[in-house]
Amino acid sequence: MKRTFVGYRWELVIAIMVILAGVWATTLSPYYFNVEQLLFSSRNLVFTGIMALGLTLIILTGEMDLSLPSILAVCTVLLAKASQASLPLPLALAGITVVALLLGAFNGLLVAKLRLPALAVTLGTMGAYRGLAFIIGSEVGYTGFNDTYKWLGSATVGASPVPVMLLVFIGAVFVFWVVMHFTTFGRRCYAIGNNASAVTYSGISVVRTKIGAYMVGALTAALGAWIFIGQFGSARGDNANSVILGVITSVVLGGVDINGGRGKVPGVVLSILFLWTLRNGMGLANIPGPIEQLIIGTLLVTGVLVSNFTGRGSFGSRPLKRASTGPLAP
Amino acid sequence: MGVEPERLSIRGVSKSFGPVRAVRNVSFSITPGTIHALVGENGAGKSTLVKIITGMQPPDSGEILLDGKVCKFFTPLDARRHGITAVYQDPKLFPHLDVAENIFMGFHPRTTFGLVSKRTMYAEADRMLADLGVKMDPRALLAGRSVAEIQFVEIIRAMCADLRLLILDEPTASLTPAESDRLFVVVDSLKRRGVSVLFISHRLDEVRRIADRVTVMRDGEHIVTAAAAEMTEADMVRRMVGRELTSLFVRGESRTPGAVMLEVKKLSLPGVFENVTMSVRAGEIVGLAGLVGAGRTEIAESIFGIRPPKSGKVVIDNVELKPSNPGQMLRKGVAYIPENRDDNGLLVDLSIASNICLAVLDRLGPLGFISRSAETRFARPFADDFEIKTTSLDAAAGSLSGGNRQKVVLAKWLGTEPKVFILDEPTHGIDIGTKSQVHQRISELAATGYPVLLISSDLPEILAMCDRILVVAAGRIVAEFARGEATQEKVMVAASRGSRSSDAGEERP
Amino acid sequence: MIGSSSSVLARRISTTLSRNTLRLRVFSVLLSLVALTAVFTLTTTNFLTLENLKVIAFNASLLTVVACAESLVVITRNLDVSVGSIIGLAGFIAAKFASANPHAGPLIIVVAVGIGLVLGLVNGMAVAYGRVPSIVATLGTLSIFRGITYVAGRGIEVPSGNLPRWMIHGADATVLGVPLVVLFALLIVLVLAFLSRSVPILRRVYAVGSNPGAAVFYGLRANRVVLFAFAVCGALVGLAAFLYISRVGTITVNLGRDWEMMALAAVVLGGVSTTGGSGSILGVLFGALILSTIDNGLVLARAPEFWRMFIQGLAIVGAIALDAGIERRIKAIFRHQRY
Repeated sequence: MKRTFVGYRWELVIAIMVILAGVWATTLSPYYFNVEQLLFSSRNLVFTGIMALGLTLIILTGEMDLSLPSILAVCTVLLAKASQASLPLPLALAGITVVALLLGAFNGLLVAKLRLPALAVTLGTMGAYRGLAFIIGSEVGYTGFNDTYKWLGSATVGASPVPVMLLVFIGAVFVFWVVMHFTTFGRRCYAIGNNASAVTYSGISVVRTKIGAYMVGALTAALGAWIFIGQFGSARGDNANSVILGVITSVVLGGVDINGGRGKVPGVVLSILFLWTLRNGMGLANIPGPIEQLIIGTLLVTGVLVSNFTGRGSFGSRPLKRASTGPLAP
Repeated sequence: MGVEPERLSIRGVSKSFGPVRAVRNVSFSITPGTIHALVGENGAGKSTLVKIITGMQPPDSGEILLDGKVCKFFTPLDARRHGITAVYQDPKLFPHLDVAENIFMGFHPRTTFGLVSKRTMYAEADRMLADLGVKMDPRALLAGRSVAEIQFVEIIRAMCADLRLLILDEPTASLTPAESDRLFVVVDSLKRRGVSVLFISHRLDEVRRIADRVTVMRDGEHIVTAAAAEMTEADMVRRMVGRELTSLFVRGESRTPGAVMLEVKKLSLPGVFENVTMSVRAGEIVGLAGLVGAGRTEIAESIFGIRPPKSGKVVIDNVELKPSNPGQMLRKGVAYIPENRDDNGLLVDLSIASNICLAVLDRLGPLGFISRSAETRFARPFADDFEIKTTSLDAAAGSLSGGNRQKVVLAKWLGTEPKVFILDEPTHGIDIGTKSQVHQRISELAATGYPVLLISSDLPEILAMCDRILVVAAGRIVAEFARGEATQEKVMVAASRGSRSSDAGEERP
Repeated sequence: MIGSSSSVLARRISTTLSRNTLRLRVFSVLLSLVALTAVFTLTTTNFLTLENLKVIAFNASLLTVVACAESLVVITRNLDVSVGSIIGLAGFIAAKFASANPHAGPLIIVVAVGIGLVLGLVNGMAVAYGRVPSIVATLGTLSIFRGITYVAGRGIEVPSGNLPRWMIHGADATVLGVPLVVLFALLIVLVLAFLSRSVPILRRVYAVGSNPGAAVFYGLRANRVVLFAFAVCGALVGLAAFLYISRVGTITVNLGRDWEMMALAAVVLGGVSTTGGSGSILGVLFGALILSTIDNGLVLARAPEFWRMFIQGLAIVGAIALDAGIERRIKAIFRHQRY
């Protein structure tokens, strides 16, 4: 496996796509390629980007989690409740951290311990957690957050136009990069996605690692929630309702194999940048929401098709080791 | 006067997988309407030959004639359509559907409108079952059927396609004696219809009982084909194992064994193995011999905690415990090198260094942090020591040959600084050159003072390497031989006979 | 193997268990329905009235058709989460067509079913031949189809007044007191139930889901079967869309949103296993009834509407968990594993 240039082939392609998208966006509006503008609109990539990082870890282990945006919503409405009760921010954050970890652990339990099919079961928890968010939050949004709560999602660094949350995102990227490539936990996740059986035979608890991955994913949703309320100033049960498509697309286009075991952080980051640039462009071109979703959906399907037929991954190159949905799953 | 052509003629068939020559210039014939047994040890080439006959693998050379005509099958479906069907241990059936539908899936009897005619389907199924003397309700779900019944369904399904040659691969391995008897009745009935049956088995008493002719294979070669009546079991065994015990294996001086490091006390897993008791001393190599399916791997996996036992205890270096998971047993010092190296021992897409470090990740860095250079640093001495042939430790483990892969697995376990080694078929599928290297390693392990439990189906290997040999049959230890008093025949006989002694006349509910 | 008494006993138990297991599933679904009915009758007023039962039946009808469609896909071990968008696109186009051509008569149904069929084929091609995992493919087409609906709609709504009279009246018509829609749905269920047991390709749908490897091995053309399942699903959903637009007040481009959760919930509640190979149309009917009953009961109990989503999600998780245990039994017995 030549680890230099060739190993980063996919990342190169995405990088080129980012540049192309940027060029396209610039042609749409002369105001686009302005540093301040870019920095300001970078907010749009943060909370979904962080969740994409979390989802990457889960997908690396060979599983899936569709419920992350729903966990985010549960956290935003809980923050709303905390704000209503005038709780100090650290307490509120501790609260949503615990709740998110519990929700993530529940997912992990169902998938890793009870061995339920991850796709179907997280489709279920996606609905259950979303419903929970509505039950806690009701359909009337809450907008009474004080500035402390909203700080992370709205502040900039000093007098500069750099949003604090962008730094948080960069920090998250760094953390995930380190975790995935320089910790034993990360090694285990990659290994499990490759061959969970061999990992068991090496004395490692696959169940515990997977549950850990799900909990990390849930944490990213909680962090995303804090950013969200700062960015939009409101919390409601339907927060981040149609975000899952973008998050999965970010991961898949980032070169992460949907069956697990393969993928790198740089690819996912580039893919996040690509989708963000595209979104910016679409916003400038006044493309309405449903069309935007259409384009992202097309990218998702095309991305997987391309990766299937260029021998890079998915079903093509590796023997099927896990039970997944699909016509030829064992 | 026309001579009826042989049902199946195999002429000069050979097949190699890389350096391993699985089948070497094999030629023999199967007469129509006979039961033809194929016997030989593991690795003799039987399954490869069957794969070639059924179209799963193309032969490198040679040809196959079916009823006198040369045949080239490219898929098993091809072979099926021409009347050759194999029934394996792993059923290719649909558990959620009923028996009749399993028989007719793909070619259901139809009504005039092209719909499935259930009435005809069940009636036909009833008839075919009755014809063969099998009592089964065609309306019952397949999922509840026993092993024997599922086999019958596969056989009947095969019969729907103008069956000419039925291949049964170890059909009685999971059957009770009563069920085996019933199978033989069915097979006999097929024979009377002119179907030829190729019957692969380790159970030589059965072979003598039902086969008309017997072919013995050894090391990929055809040794002899003769009428079953003309061969005694001893004859067959001798031909199956009779190879020279070359001095390929350098056991070296075996020291006097030290203290008991691994002790297994009455380990039981109902339905799998029972009352297993044995001990291995430091510096000793104890072999577990037996037929495939006797339960040796299951015992080892149980000791290692993969499939914890229901009862019994394991003692590692005077620490007594009941195995519950592999992590625990690893920490207590058990190293288990699994039988299925590629599925369970190695991660083919991960680098060699990562593979070697996999079981000791926590030791390679502080607080869970780890770097590739730390992995390489850890793995390098092992890779050098084992002479793993590779351009770089970063290469994927899947790029290595079988022998080198095994070295990686051994290195990985050596790196855990264990107290006990359990090796399951360590030289399976490895070329001769690397084999002796691996044997050398194993000797060195013992010489260093490790207790080694060696599971192997390679009789010369077991006889040459082990201080003591335990024979496992049907989940029980049935014999023990000290070095020197064991011979290949004695071991084989103990392994083959033991399976019958304990169950007499079991009736199904 | 060891012909000892323990394994004989294990076999005896397993025979009884799985002979009834699949029948058990449908039976337990029915039981849950009865239990739910009891609970709601006791805790709310007006539950067990004829009026209310008609409402439940009405709501269940559409859901049943969509759930039956989805179940075909699930039986092949796939998932289709784009059904809501198929309802949207097929329904909206059919509505526009109907309001533009009020005398087209049954052609309107053809349009709806036809569009559904095409959309289903797209899904099927991506999954069976493009080898895209079904969740990813249908998540993508969910947005793609919805986007196309939006483009086709261009902000126009179709008020129900524009639809041909026969459609609107048909939606409310009753035969002997039973709503026509309900009868229609029942007819579809009966036909499907019959066909699913006697049409060879539908039998292959079960085979592919039960053991894909064996299906490929025997040359059952698994890919074509999967394509077929998705296509029929799409077509049936198109039919449901037709029924839907007859009933709904104003047809917007948001038609059918969130139906996928409901459909899947009805399917798994109805005893269809997400691991494939088993499930009956009758079970799906009961699953849809359960879901509609829960919905209705919640309304009568004045519970806020979003409890529905919560319960649906939990129901999916619960049904899958229950199911997995049963499935493991079936597969273990089948592979004659000794534990």
